[in-house]
Amino acid sequence: MKISGWLFDIYPNKVNGLTLWLIGDDGQRYCLQHEFAVRFYAAGPSAQLRALWKFLEGREEPVKLSRTERRDIYMGKITVLACEVANPAAMRDLFQQASQAFPDLTYYDADIHLALRYAAVTGVFPLARCEVETLGNRVQSIQPIDTRWELDPIAPPMRTLSLEPDDDPSCRTPKGIIFQYERYSYRLDLEPARPVLVNLRAILERFDPDLILTNHGDTWLIPWLASKIKELGIPIPVNRDPGYEILTHKEHTYFSYGRIVYRGQQSQFFGRWHLDKQNTMLWSDYGLDGALEMARVTCLPVQEAARLSPGSGISAMQFVTAMQTGILIPWRKAQAEKPKTALELIRADMGGMVYQPTIGLHENVIGIDFVSMYPGIMVHFNISPEVQRSGIALEPSTDEPGIVPQTLEPLLKKRIAYKSALFDMPKWDDRREKYKARSSAEKWLLVTCFGYLGYKNARFGRIESHEAVTAYGREALLRAKEAAEKLGYEILHMYVDGIWVKKAAKPDADDIRKLLEDVADRTGLPIALDGMYRWVAFLPSQVSAKVPVANRYFGVFQDGSTKVRGIEARRRDTAPLLSKTQMGILEILAEASDVGAIRKVMPEVDRFIDSKVRALRDGRVPLEDLVMRQRLSRELEAYRTPSPAARAAQQLAGVGKTMRAGQSIRFIITRGKPGVHAWDLPTEVDRKSIDVQRYQALLYRAIGTVLDAVVPLEKPPDLFDLPARIEIPIKNDLMAVC
Amino acid sequence: MGRTLPTSTDLFLQEQESFGRFRRALRRSDQLALDDLFDSARLHLAATQYASHALPFEVMLLSMLLEEHKLVMRLREQFDIFSRRLP
Repeated sequence: MKISGWLFDIYPNKVNGLTLWLIGDDGQRYCLQHEFAVRFYAAGPSAQLRALWKFLEGREEPVKLSRTERRDIYMGKITVLACEVANPAAMRDLFQQASQAFPDLTYYDADIHLALRYAAVTGVFPLARCEVETLGNRVQSIQPIDTRWELDPIAPPMRTLSLEPDDDPSCRTPKGIIFQYERYSYRLDLEPARPVLVNLRAILERFDPDLILTNHGDTWLIPWLASKIKELGIPIPVNRDPGYEILTHKEHTYFSYGRIVYRGQQSQFFGRWHLDKQNTMLWSDYGLDGALEMARVTCLPVQEAARLSPGSGISAMQFVTAMQTGILIPWRKAQAEKPKTALELIRADMGGMVYQPTIGLHENVIGIDFVSMYPGIMVHFNISPEVQRSGIALEPSTDEPGIVPQTLEPLLKKRIAYKSALFDMPKWDDRREKYKARSSAEKWLLVTCFGYLGYKNARFGRIESHEAVTAYGREALLRAKEAAEKLGYEILHMYVDGIWVKKAAKPDADDIRKLLEDVADRTGLPIALDGMYRWVAFLPSQVSAKVPVANRYFGVFQDGSTKVRGIEARRRDTAPLLSKTQMGILEILAEASDVGAIRKVMPEVDRFIDSKVRALRDGRVPLEDLVMRQRLSRELEAYRTPSPAARAAQQLAGVGKTMRAGQSIRFIITRGKPGVHAWDLPTEVDRKSIDVQRYQALLYRAIGTVLDAVVPLEKPPDLFDLPARIEIPIKNDLMAVC
Repeated sequence: MGRTLPTSTDLFLQEQESFGRFRRALRRSDQLALDDLFDSARLHLAATQYASHALPFEVMLLSMLLEEHKLVMRLREQFDIFSRRLP
């Protein structure tokens, strides 16, 4: 029989080969078996390889052994022992035995996800359209019809059941559960649990959804269901494949990029997808599209692709490239950093160029950005662990592209294609949201790719390549600076891949084109206009008014839209009251067509601020607008002087809700002790206890951040036209001391 | 953040802190002037980092000098304008 359709799910069969789930063009769901042998390789001294050969021959599991040549990324062609296991499910145990018995051998391709192997061999990846020739339920042959780089892939027709608890389980225990599918939507009480289970079973049997979409499903709903199924003994086909239990991954915390990260528990199904909105990347912005794109380009099954941790997406893609081009994937990375002299280290160990902006309000500002700078550098200059490059001449490499640029190039092209399509697309076009979602998912992969190049455990990472990327980045930025200065611009700020310049006279379209061309000429990298600003304010640090901070600014573009970075309005930890007030002020300021007109809108700003302050004093601000957030930086017991978040977490612990390091705590500031009220406590905060004065101080500070930059409170005597930073009246201070 | 070397901001803060005893013994007015000098070194941290000099404090001193010289240049220009205006 011939079936065409979409690959829906893929996992190792317990008995032999793989289980594939297909959504057919005829609307049927097919469960197919595909015989698929997997291989791992071992390299080392021949005596040891011979011993491994004997060892593997003696195992129960049949293994096909052969001596062959493959390419190690650093050493070139080497002789390896290929071990082919017919049953993918058995490979893990077998490999474990081998690696324990012969720990000194170098192993390759040992722990690669099955979906990736399948994609590399057959070209069929999750959600790919494919044609299958079958005999019974056995796959005879399979052919992909589309590729991962399709801009408008045809989406499979999907049936979705949505399950949501009626309350946030991290604060209060939910009482009911809301079912939604087709045109039905209703709520059932959680207790007694029997009707919930019976109902769910009926839906699963009759409606047979492909996707179970939940809120808090990973951490609460699915574990709750699983425990009830066990308790009441009602079997429910949550997995379409009856031979399987629900797959769960335990919660864990780890330390990454200077902070503690918390990953909750996960629950996944077989033959059906479970996606938890709370645990799906970019869900709040883009819904399902981002997750599906992630699965397509990384070749990982949807349930995993949606819950990716940084780095695993991009390494999945590198593995597929490696397998397709016959490069061995080391099981454990053996490459160590080469010794460097102290001076070499000082030269190499630098990040991107981050400038100190010129503090103050600037008119006629142009912002330009390198397009996907770091991935662009990797592709354009062929930066990959195995490629030798010297110097930073900013000339394209003539060597064969390495594994990193090979992996990135199609991804980068696809993202640029989406971005440029979006640029020309009218607002009403319904492809816009999809394109945005996909390009965001791709951006995320591209961003992590750079970090992963320098990660010590990345299989194709190497710190020197990572350093080379930042070195090229700094060089490109400095060349951009030189190009702009030559054209008579003043440099206001540079930030890794962006640069802000201004000119006394308002630049026109020709000026901007000339600038972009010159920069592109000098650097060889694509550059784009971030925008032409009516004005931009670069803000000083909160500690000293004379010290600039790299990423604290706001500005208004020519079209009246605003760009805000680093101030309270952008921070997730500040109370919404503060960000709403700041954004409100900015919106009013954005009505002014230029700096001179700001004065005219000031009365309106004053009225707006007045209304906000009054609302706070009169207790008319909604409670949720006062909620602050802070992350627990360590476990509760480890605090010596508990932070507000820790005190709030203690309150939660008091009512039996343990919070772990890395989780963020919501609270309201109150008067007296303990000074906070955890937002997720079952009792609501007493309005009278709220520390209005503290909130008022915070509010004034947030207002000051915006207004101080725009309207200097008192103008210094302009006699000598001194720059702002040397205004300090040393003489006056002397008088004060005397 | 997984770096082997301190950033130029860290270096700067270390250097500034190492002069803590010196600063403490200064008059209040001199303390403020000193802080101002350090602030001016701070304006060129990106360049300090890029220079990757083995003795960063030398670059910081040069940054302070740079800002002072800018001020001298600016004042001289203003002075010229004023002296031309005088009868």
